[in-house]
Amino acid sequence: MTHILDDYAVSSPLRYRNNWLKLTVVAFGILAGVSSNSPFVPLVIAVCMSFATVYFGKVPAGPYFRILAAPAGFVMVSAVIIAFFFGEGEKLFSFEVLGFTLGVGSAGLNMALLVLARTLGGMSCLLFLSLTTPMIELFSVLKATRIPDSFIEISMMMYRYIFVFLEVAMGVKYAQTVRLGYKDFRTSFRSVAMLATNLFIRSWEQGEKLYVSMNSRCYDGKLTMLDEKRPVRLLEIVLTCGYFTLVLAVFYFTRGISFI
Amino acid sequence: MHIFEGFLPSPWWQIWFAVSIPVIMYGIYQMNKLVSQRREIVPLLAVAGAFIFVMSSLKLPSVTGSSSHPTGTGMAAILFGPAVTSVLSVIVLLYQSLFLAHGGLTTLGANVFSMGIAGPFVAYAFYKMASKAGMNFYLNVFLATAIANWVTYVVTSLQLALAFPFEGSVFASFKMFALVFATTQVPLAIMEGALTALIMKYVVQIKGDVLVGLNVLTSSAATKLREAME
Repeated sequence: MTHILDDYAVSSPLRYRNNWLKLTVVAFGILAGVSSNSPFVPLVIAVCMSFATVYFGKVPAGPYFRILAAPAGFVMVSAVIIAFFFGEGEKLFSFEVLGFTLGVGSAGLNMALLVLARTLGGMSCLLFLSLTTPMIELFSVLKATRIPDSFIEISMMMYRYIFVFLEVAMGVKYAQTVRLGYKDFRTSFRSVAMLATNLFIRSWEQGEKLYVSMNSRCYDGKLTMLDEKRPVRLLEIVLTCGYFTLVLAVFYFTRGISFI
Repeated sequence: MHIFEGFLPSPWWQIWFAVSIPVIMYGIYQMNKLVSQRREIVPLLAVAGAFIFVMSSLKLPSVTGSSSHPTGTGMAAILFGPAVTSVLSVIVLLYQSLFLAHGGLTTLGANVFSMGIAGPFVAYAFYKMASKAGMNFYLNVFLATAIANWVTYVVTSLQLALAFPFEGSVFASFKMFALVFATTQVPLAIMEGALTALIMKYVVQIKGDVLVGLNVLTSSAATKLREAME
């Protein structure tokens, strides 16, 4: 809870690059990974995007891989289920548990590996976006689309207040911890409930204050912000094109190929 | 329970977007109507969304030792109604995928459907019906939030099962996914229900008029609850 990914994005040098270019790269990676039928494409994407995030984005490698491992629990469980039960055909190996025969078929194993690879590829694209682009930069992109204004307004204010409340929550939690508020299950349950209540009431009052303060500054339902112009450099275009060609080539040559 | 980026294969993530988008459009329409009547609702909705985000990033103490997060959407549905909750949950889920690496962009449609639409709608319907039937307020909140959490988890299992049927049978894979995730989700839902009921107790105690203003409680019910505490 102490670190959210936006913290890395704010200090990343890639922050000052063209937003549309970054979004194109990310969207391309995500779509190519999801629609490929061999695990190699998402793996290539994962390697490229991780390299870009760590090398160009200057995100420390240790925390980066720890964040990348965040979905591991959910994904591993689901992948194991898929490996055991998906598809028909020959079983590669099988054993009996409580009278049920459990077996891993080649179709199931392939599917599980594909899903694992896709998740890895997709998450690395997503992390590239979230570790190099602070949300502030994305708002101007959102404004250029046809998403309703009220939706964007609320997301902008929400963004601001997430940080305010996170700080309050961390302070309260710290104070509770030093008073042994989390010493066992019962007390920690009570502490979490008190923390959440306090947060709710405080956010309520904050919302009322925010309305008054914005109203007194002539808020009419539109927050305007500066959209900086950042031209795309030649080197970036070359790198992006190289990356696209590589992924498309792998996509073409590994159609239908699987590990087993 | 978030489905992570890249997990849903091709026809399914588009399908879940197609299912979710009309509901979200309706939610935005409802919200715009609300905002044009009462402009002070914009900052309130924003802080409510931020509250849901922070709530969902709080770690609940868990019996099994694994960290578990409340969804917070059941509580939001009781407070703000399901249509507004669905819009807020889109933003919250987007932020969760960008800030916390929970969830993803292609799976956003599926996640919005399970956490922002199915769960809150059922929770809201249950809450309204039970409060009309005169159920105890805290018990009602407990059940409504726990049910929201369960509905979310059943829908997620169904989404996974539809995308990965076992030997052609969606039902078989649904049973399997539901069974395995039940080990974490069943206790988690009970925890979240109990936590939300306890939060409501404190809110009634300290600032009950907020709940009256949101039409969660009638003012007579709020006074009765407060008197019962003293």
